[in-house]
Order: sequence, then structure tokens, then C-alpha cells
Amino acid sequence: MVTLEFHDPSGVIAVKQSHAPRIASLAGKRVGFVSNEQWQAYRMLPLLKKLLEADFPGIEVLPIDAFPQGNALIGSEETAALVKQSGVDAVIVGNAA
Amino acid sequence: MTNAVAGLGLAPDAAMVTFPIDLFLPGSDIAPVEARKREFYDGLTRWRSAFASDGAGETPMISVQAAGLEEAYARANHLMLANRWGDGLPLWPPTRERVDWILRGAAQSRRRALGTFPPRGGVTTIESCAIALAMAGGRPEYLPVLVAAVEAFLDEESGSEQLQAASGSAFPVVIVNGPIGRQIRLNSGFGCLGPDPQRPAGASIGRALRLMQQNLGGALPGIGTMANYGGMRYTNVVFAEDEGNLPSGWEPHAAERHGFASGQSSISLAFANGVTNIRRRGAKKETPEEDALQGMHRMADFMRVPNMAGLAGYEHGTPGILMLPGVVAQTMAGLGWTKASIREFLWTHSRIPLEELRLAGCPAWIEIDARKVTRESLTLDPWPITASPDNFVIIVAGGGHPTNSYWLQGYSPSVVGRVVEVPASFEGLLADAERDFSLSPR
Repeated sequence: MVTLEFHDPSGVIAVKQSHAPRIASLAGKRVGFVSNEQWQAYRMLPLLKKLLEADFPGIEVLPIDAFPQGNALIGSEETAALVKQSGVDAVIVGNAA
Repeated sequence: MTNAVAGLGLAPDAAMVTFPIDLFLPGSDIAPVEARKREFYDGLTRWRSAFASDGAGETPMISVQAAGLEEAYARANHLMLANRWGDGLPLWPPTRERVDWILRGAAQSRRRALGTFPPRGGVTTIESCAIALAMAGGRPEYLPVLVAAVEAFLDEESGSEQLQAASGSAFPVVIVNGPIGRQIRLNSGFGCLGPDPQRPAGASIGRALRLMQQNLGGALPGIGTMANYGGMRYTNVVFAEDEGNLPSGWEPHAAERHGFASGQSSISLAFANGVTNIRRRGAKKETPEEDALQGMHRMADFMRVPNMAGLAGYEHGTPGILMLPGVVAQTMAGLGWTKASIREFLWTHSRIPLEELRLAGCPAWIEIDARKVTRESLTLDPWPITASPDNFVIIVAGGGHPTNSYWLQGYSPSVVGRVVEVPASFEGLLADAERDFSLSPR
């Protein structure tokens, strides 16, 4: 019997930070969108805003253009700072395809 | 998407709601968003990562058992495909012995960290390079070029984080300058984009880089990368500039673009997403001057297309890499052409009338570009396909034949250079290679 042992070429992933904790409920919370403005985001995100506002009392959903939009801008530190400053409890990021 | 999340240092999963592509197309029915609204709500409230936050630990070793060596190699190959670590061609299993052999070509410690491979974020070390090079059938003397290419690839300026996952089918092009090209038998002449059994270095190095893109970076077709066609992805493009045929006064690419000293071994990495032959030579009784000028027009005309690939590197990158054979470069230099005057000609004659851009819907792409220089270029008519003539990369390479040139269409935010470091034992590795490549044909 021959045993052939070799390295796993996929290496390791270093997990440096945890995902943000989830919120207990959306009622009464402030929610924002970070949009790349592509892939029908201009239709889908307003629909989500409408659905959230209908389903959760007291929720405040910011307009889809409350933060800078577009692939070139949404990953920037400046956008992240604006999101934090806005005081949102949760963010929906869209649209990838 | 999970790749991108992992690449940010988060656990490799995310709260996502996924739909078939149809939903994302113009005019689509978006009713499924409402039908599945609960999944969005749960993503914000109930979702939990399936991964612990303390990392994935050390790389394990894999083993297969079989009745004989032949069967063991077959099983290892099947296992690598099952784990999505292969490219469909036979692989050398990266055993300890083979990886240690490859590491004889390392100028630094095997544990030296080079970064994390985007977008998945696989931790990348000298050893990671050796593992991939072992799988790709490489040799120790190839490792310094691969390490330099990986360093350039992982440079934030390269744009690899986005291009690895994007649909545009970008692939890295590695141009090698300096003596190491000749030393490791890297092709710069006939068939320099490969394959070439007499000069196999480019295939192994490029294949190793591709395996790292996939195995560490997560760029699996349709899963980790949306590259629609994935051109050149078996071996990428790795070749040497034909410095021996550079006309007098023409600097090597590395000196021109990166300021490296002539004679310094180095690599230069850019991304491309197209490869095309351009028939350059005339067919009848052209004078040398007419032959050169008509060929230049033909090349510029080919570049004058509103397909927007050059936007990626409009300001500082490159619209593409033009490969001219040494015999053509020598002739053109004799007529007074320089790399600089060729670039200037291409820039001037590849400009596109604004009306043609409008017909093709290009202004919208230019208007949403992140760079001010690119957005403001819309005021120019005709519109230059790149901000500066200096962005064109001109390389002397290819066989000693005057008919054709080659155009690697750029899709590259920058062109990144790295010096190649070799170990103290490099001469010995070259002697070993000389021995191995000197077998008499049967």
C-alpha cells in the first residue's frame, strides 16, 4: 500500500473580525442602504424600503441615495464614516450580480 | 460574495439573499423580492455566522492511499478536482518532498507572508507559492519570478481585488526583464505566449499563479469569479522581453515603466482581457517607410474601438500591451521610430470621435468612473482611449518574423513592477536545470 501525503493548496483564512451583531427587531430602528446603483438597485431597493416601512412600526428607512452610490464609492472609508455618523442600526448592501 | 467578505478579514460567509440573474436585468419582474422579504428581514435580525471567529487554523496535509504509485497519483488528482483545487489538467501532488525541492529557489523564509489573496483572503506565503508551483509542474529556479509576480498581484494598486471577481475575464500578464528570463528559459521569441517544450518556464509560472488565484483567492468560475469567458486562464501570460533584439537607444520595458536599472531582473504585471494578432506587414511594393506607417495605422485602428476596456486603467494603467517582434523594432528604429514616438502615434490615431462614443452608449460608463480624469475626458473630441501616450506598453518580443504584431487589450488600473530576488544558491539551481534539460532525445 502506498500513501501519498501532500499540502492542502487552499491555505488558511485569517479571520480578523466578527460580523456585526444582529438587531433583535426592526421595529423602531433606523435602516440605511448602501447601493452600487447597478443591477436594478434603483427599483429593488425602493421596493425593500416600502416593504420595511409597511411591516415594522416606527421604522425609519433612509432614502437609497442617503450615502454615496456606485462601485467606486461604496467601499471607501469615507462612505463607511458617513454610515456610522448617520446612526443607522442596520444596513442593506446591494446589488451584486 | 463570501470570498469578498473573507477577504475583508471577516468569517467567510454573509447574510445574503440570492436570486437568479434574470431579476437583475433591465425590465425584470422584481416581485420575487417581495415574496422573499422575510429573508431580508432575517438577515438583519436572526442570521448567525457558521464560522468561529478565531480563524481556520494551520493548513492540513492531505493523504491518499492506493495499491501503487500510479493509482496514488490518480487518486490525488481526483481528490484535488473534487476539492476544486485543479484546472482539469494533470497536477503534481504538492508533496513535502516536491515543495521542499521547489523552495530551494526561495530567497526568503518559506513562512514569509506576502499578503492575502483576494477576494477570498487566503493567507499567502513563500510556501504557498512553492505549493502552487509544485502542482503546476514547476522548478526551483522559477520560484523567484513567481514570488515577484505574486507580490505585484497582491499590490493594492494592481486592482486584483476587483478584477479577480469581475465579469470582464481579466488575466494577469507578467513581463520579465533582465537576465533571469534567459537563465530560466523563459520564452521571448517564436511562440512566446506558449506552450514551448524547450522553454516551459512561462507555462508553469503562469499556471501556478492561476492556481493561487483559484485556490487561495477563491476565483472559481461562476462561484468566486464571474469572469464570463476566463480567457488565458490555464497559464495566464508570462514571457520575457527580447532584450537581445532591442534597437540601440530603446530601453527595456522595466527601465522605461518602472525605472529599474538595465540588467536588473524584474517583473512587470498588468491585467489584460483580450489577445489579438494584428497583421502588420504590407503585401506588395511598399517602401520601408510606407510599410512601417501602414502597419502603425493598422494597429492604431484596431485600438480605436469603443469597448471601454481601457477605462480600468485610463489615468495610470494601460490600454494594452503591444508586442512588436525584434526584426520590426530594428527596422522601425532605423527609420527613426522610438518607443515614445510609437506611443504618441498610437495615442493620436486611436482617438474616437465623440459621436461614435455616443452611438455606442459609452458616455454613461465614462460618467460613472471613479476617477475625475476619466470623467472629464468626455470633454475631449476625439476622445483618447487613455489619458496619456505613456500608458501604452510597448514590448519587443515574438519570433524573428515581420508580418504580425500582438495586442494584449489592457484591463488594468496600473502596471506594477517588482525586482526579482534570487537565493545565493541560484547558480547551482541553473546548473541542475542545465543537466535536466540536456537529456538526449530518444
